[in-house]
Amino acid sequence: MSEPGADLATPFRQRAERALHDDFLQQALTIATTKFIDLRRQAFRDFPEGERLRDRAREIKEATLQGLDLYVDQLVDNVERQGGHVHFAVSADEARDIVVDLGRRAGARMAVKSKSMATEEIHLNDALAAVGITPVETDLGEYIIQLAGERPSHIIAPAIHKTKGQVAALFGRELKRPVEADPEALTRVARAELRDKFLAADMGITGANFAIADTGTIVLVTNEGNGRMVTSLPRLHVAVMGVEKVIPSLTDLVVFLAILAKSATGQKLSSYTTLVRGPRRAGELEGPEEFHLVLLDNGRVRQLAGPLREALSCLRCGACLNVCPVYRQIGGHAYGYTYPGPIGILLTAMLNGPESVKDLAHASSLCGACVDACPVRIDIPRMLVELRTEVDTRHIAPWPERVIFKTFAALLRRPSLYRVAAPVTRLLQRPFATGRRVPRLPFFFGRWTATRDLPAVAPRTFAERWRDLEGGR
Amino acid sequence: MTTRAAFMARLRTELGKTSGLFAATVAERPAAPAALADTIRRELAERWPETLERFRDEFERVGGVFYRVAALGDVPAVVARIAHERAARRVITWHPAALGADVAPALRENGLEVTVMPAAGETEAARRRLRDVIAAAEIGVTGADLAVAETGTLVLASGGGRPRSTSLLPAYHVAVFDRGALVESLAQVGVFLEAWHGEGGAPADGGAVNFVTGPSRTADIELTLTRGVHGPREVHAIFVEAPRGG
Repeated sequence: MSEPGADLATPFRQRAERALHDDFLQQALTIATTKFIDLRRQAFRDFPEGERLRDRAREIKEATLQGLDLYVDQLVDNVERQGGHVHFAVSADEARDIVVDLGRRAGARMAVKSKSMATEEIHLNDALAAVGITPVETDLGEYIIQLAGERPSHIIAPAIHKTKGQVAALFGRELKRPVEADPEALTRVARAELRDKFLAADMGITGANFAIADTGTIVLVTNEGNGRMVTSLPRLHVAVMGVEKVIPSLTDLVVFLAILAKSATGQKLSSYTTLVRGPRRAGELEGPEEFHLVLLDNGRVRQLAGPLREALSCLRCGACLNVCPVYRQIGGHAYGYTYPGPIGILLTAMLNGPESVKDLAHASSLCGACVDACPVRIDIPRMLVELRTEVDTRHIAPWPERVIFKTFAALLRRPSLYRVAAPVTRLLQRPFATGRRVPRLPFFFGRWTATRDLPAVAPRTFAERWRDLEGGR
Repeated sequence: MTTRAAFMARLRTELGKTSGLFAATVAERPAAPAALADTIRRELAERWPETLERFRDEFERVGGVFYRVAALGDVPAVVARIAHERAARRVITWHPAALGADVAPALRENGLEVTVMPAAGETEAARRRLRDVIAAAEIGVTGADLAVAETGTLVLASGGGRPRSTSLLPAYHVAVFDRGALVESLAQVGVFLEAWHGEGGAPADGGAVNFVTGPSRTADIELTLTRGVHGPREVHAIFVEAPRGG
């Protein structure tokens, strides 16, 4: 059930531990997430309609999901009407096979890709390489991590964990010549290197930020322009898209465009928004001869009536990552799967089942910063709590955890027991408490106090003082 | 292989199990978008100078370079100056029918090497040759179907005479527009897109519409903002005061 290529050989606790002791990562995360938070805040401060549009966008997503069969049907009809082809993939394997087969049938040797979380999710690159089609990531951040043989650590800034020195070393190894460790120079090198590949590639692969049912249009939002290259130059264009990304009309589209880039990078719009419909038209000089859209289920459809339904509204802007106190500490790789951050935990559960998040479901302080930042106000903490419950009731959680929480629940439900609990705990904590704190607990409880203190039970609890007050009346 | 019927059946089964999270509606589309687009144009004709000012502010904020000239005849001189300042020689332009003027002769007089994009589709051989020309060009001259004041965005529809990569492969993109392209907001862009799709008819017959908001950019290496990673390093917009055909 688990994703191939996920970094799961080490347990989550150790992955997080490693990240916490990586000084560069800590610094890079703080700088990047703080900057993204400020830019986003500024963008919405200058945009009074923003809050209303976020409500609208949230509603549009929900309304679209309610009629998803209708809109998908419409989308398929309209893509086909324009000479495009639509494929249906229930699983990641099936989606991968479809794309690989399309490339093979077209005799493709090289596929240029614009950034796509959907193709990350189905681990397309290895499958392409296996049949002799060289996949080339063209988003600069993705290109860097492809050369490094890693996975993205942030949805919109995949290589924030890399220093310019590391990037220069990677480029140097690839080009077999020394490269200056300067972002400007490195970008020039990537431009030259990837320009040749755009012109030589016979296959272009993209995701889709949106697909418009009414017109059969695929919408790509990029800053670098690689999405435009990939949809203009190669003779074959394949777009892989989660089925929930469909929206009804162009009127809906502009609502999302008004908030998407502001949430992601604080820009009013990203540099390029590309709307493409089907293959090249008769009068056109450029554009693909063939256009294929792969509609991906991979656990999504089951959630239409499932506990994670609200996560199907996600726009993949990355805003919830930046504000999350856990993501800000451990970064994307520690999560271990394709999608990091608070929304990533939910998407991981959606794709791989609740077993995959037995640890991750707890990698959140439930502070709610993600809901505030989310452009469509997805209630991530609510679903995380539900996931924790599911992990518990399905006995996926380790037994000590289950026993502790069961005991705690029993105490809270019975006032008589709860009243006795305070003096009993005061007795038990005596060897471990220093003042009002318990800095270290014995046995496996020690894991909890390894990184924080436990507040000690007060010498007199509120309930006890209240009883005194009532008695003295 | 999953068929459309099987995929849709799964979708319907799951949808049948729930009535959703809350009552919600999708965006309300204009009943007659072409007529509404005309109304917007008419209203903006009254106050285009303010809209242009706002466009200029936003366009410059995203790194664009703005020019204002009296007539289409003044455009080649601006393009030539941009070229000379950057030691650029090779220019490609949209076809005159799409651009509204034939700027090629005047540009050639200024010592530039100009290739005009063909008005219609070409043979495979000609396409390949033109691809090389476009890839080698340093300046791409296009029109703009919309200029959006709210965001400083230029909207370009592809089609005959207006290849997608004219505004993409050259390092310098120069777009020429007049007051007829000005709109105030993204919401208005929505109306125009609906009108182009519906009975209003699109400005061109191609398969792509691109929104261009400043130059190509990335911040993928240590968050250092860098321009021209894949697309143009610079975007220039020339506003022509005299409206087309007016």
